[in-house]
Amino acid sequence: MAIINLGTGDIAKYPFLKEASDYIRETQFNLEEFDRPEMKYIIDRAAEKIETEVANGTIYEKLDKYEIEILTFLVTIIIVKSINIESILRKHSLFEAMRVEKFLTEDLRKEKNEQKKRLLLFKIFGELFKVHVDIDPTDNRLFKVRVTDYLMRASHFHEQEWKLINRLVHDGYVYLDADETVRLIRSELSTLIHDRVKLMTLSTLPRAIEVKVDELKAKLVPIYEYEHRMYKTTDYAPCIKHALELMNRGENLPHSARIMLATYMLAIGKSIDEIIILFHNAPDYNEKVTRYQVEHLAGIRGSHTKYSVPSCEKLRSENLCFATEKCEGIRNPVQFGRNYKKENYDHSR
Amino acid sequence: MLLRNAFREYYFRYSKTLETPEHIDQREFGYMQFGAGMIRHLSFRNIGELLAILIKEVPSDVYCSNAYYRFPTYTMQEKQWIGADLIFDIDAKDLHLPCESTHSYFVCTNCGEVQDSKFELCPSCDTGKLTQTLLPCNKCNYALKKEVKHLVDLLMNDLGIKEKSIHIYFSGNNGYHIHVLDDEFYRLDSHARSDIVGYIMGNDIMAESIGVRKASSPSVVDFSVKFPKSGMIYGWRQRIARKLGIDRSLSISKMDKIVQQKGGYSGFKSELHKMAKEMSVRIDPLVTMDVHRVFRMAGTLNSKSGLTKVLCKEIESFDPLTDACFLMDKEVNVNVKSPIKLKLKGQSFSLKKQTTKLPAYAAIYLICKRLAQAI
Repeated sequence: MAIINLGTGDIAKYPFLKEASDYIRETQFNLEEFDRPEMKYIIDRAAEKIETEVANGTIYEKLDKYEIEILTFLVTIIIVKSINIESILRKHSLFEAMRVEKFLTEDLRKEKNEQKKRLLLFKIFGELFKVHVDIDPTDNRLFKVRVTDYLMRASHFHEQEWKLINRLVHDGYVYLDADETVRLIRSELSTLIHDRVKLMTLSTLPRAIEVKVDELKAKLVPIYEYEHRMYKTTDYAPCIKHALELMNRGENLPHSARIMLATYMLAIGKSIDEIIILFHNAPDYNEKVTRYQVEHLAGIRGSHTKYSVPSCEKLRSENLCFATEKCEGIRNPVQFGRNYKKENYDHSR
Repeated sequence: MLLRNAFREYYFRYSKTLETPEHIDQREFGYMQFGAGMIRHLSFRNIGELLAILIKEVPSDVYCSNAYYRFPTYTMQEKQWIGADLIFDIDAKDLHLPCESTHSYFVCTNCGEVQDSKFELCPSCDTGKLTQTLLPCNKCNYALKKEVKHLVDLLMNDLGIKEKSIHIYFSGNNGYHIHVLDDEFYRLDSHARSDIVGYIMGNDIMAESIGVRKASSPSVVDFSVKFPKSGMIYGWRQRIARKLGIDRSLSISKMDKIVQQKGGYSGFKSELHKMAKEMSVRIDPLVTMDVHRVFRMAGTLNSKSGLTKVLCKEIESFDPLTDACFLMDKEVNVNVKSPIKLKLKGQSFSLKKQTTKLPAYAAIYLICKRLAQAI
């Protein structure tokens, strides 16, 4: 049987693979080479990628030759490391993961050569994350994942569709389509990028990169110095506090937690603009989309139905409840505020 | 004294019944003392060490963690969790069987008198509250076994767990414990186990997962049908499809008709939830989700009955009131508090409310059930 290797096109899409680092090592590439004029294209491209992801909140979709992609990947992580702001790193990691997710989904959907498909599954799922994914022998559009591998990831997703009961389960395997299979490892991909940046040690930067870092810092730091945007989280129900804390750290909140947060803030009388600012630290923040969604929940758009705050029971089922003893007797997070205020008031008397 | 002596003799005579848990040195042990509290965070290097404590201290109940820890004797935060056996508890009280009322007794927490039916306050002393005690019957055991077999079927066919990894135990009272010792499942956290619980109990099934979606702009009907790409040939989807009669050929028009008959999307959804509940296994969810639980240890006595938690090699023929009854036959005097009929170790007893001589195993069974008093 012929041995199939990853093509250069694959390495371009997945520049975090071992094959990409092998390329850098084999070509004996030196960081100082980035000061050469022909490298300007790479550095500008890396900056464009960071801006697209971090400032615009969208996936960088352009795909070039593998030599370009590998070096762009390298410069990108050097710049993000040098900017040294956690929420920028998280946002970059998430969008890089989503970029990989997009390419990988397409590859798994379109690749006709089964051996090639298996190789990709092995390289990304197997080698990087120790997840064994197989192709369903009866339908090659479907993939089989061990129930335990599925549960270790999907049980932390909050959407009901990911609950095991809503999946096709048989003989120790969960059957998923390409999108779903790739979605399973989004957070691991994001952590992989995040850790690559975190663990990187930087010596002196080439001047050309240094200049780009300063330029980007000037643009992004005023938006992302989230320390100035920290929200007082003391008076809210523990579930809301928890969500705000995650948001303040720049972590990616699930959709259901965002609905909880927005409806809660609406219920306690915050303005639409105040609520939109709350979501500013979300790694995938997009003002237009956030505004539309908050207005939708407020009943200003769409069906004109004002959404109420999810009940404690619903939040429990979505793993969003972080009840303390002060939650005793309440059925909705909104009631917590009321009880808590009353209790404080009584104490103060 | 009677109970302590009988329990001590059991651990002395039946030391071989005590099962050595896998990786015993990584388990946390605990025990309940007669008339006193719980002692936890113990560790034993071998079963002999544990047996010595059992004979010396004579606990009323003995527990062993389903979890494996690096440091089992440390505090909960410092133990360093390695993994845990996947465990399930099927208890007669969760089955709400129709026969329950025919073998329920209500014992006063204050005067200890026994009533046939439930009252707000004890009619004998007017102060104590009544708590229920059950003497399970054959119907209970039959229903419990059916539930166990259903669970084992889901574990094997759906979750792919090998038969040899599934160990069924009689709990020592009114139920069965199922232990799964599996290298893949033991590393699952509480979230993942909670998802398994939902799967087994038929919780949160979505109409969308079997192809019925809520229409985005309702016209004549408020739903649309599009079967999932991954199909309906296995697991819950297959069970639901079979129940709806669409498992042989997936027909959109047939499904359409079914949903309309159920009153559209919402009607179908509530019908689906009902169906899933009917086809689910009734387990105690908290037991399975808990990855730090100390669980009754196999081979030890249950102080709620004086019966032993034992491995059921053949679930079909297992009779708890014979196969888990190991206490001695020596006759003792007890004061039976209510007229009772029961069968233990193959012997039938028809008892009146009076002082009587009974074999120790029967006397202790009734004392543990609070239906008799030692003299």
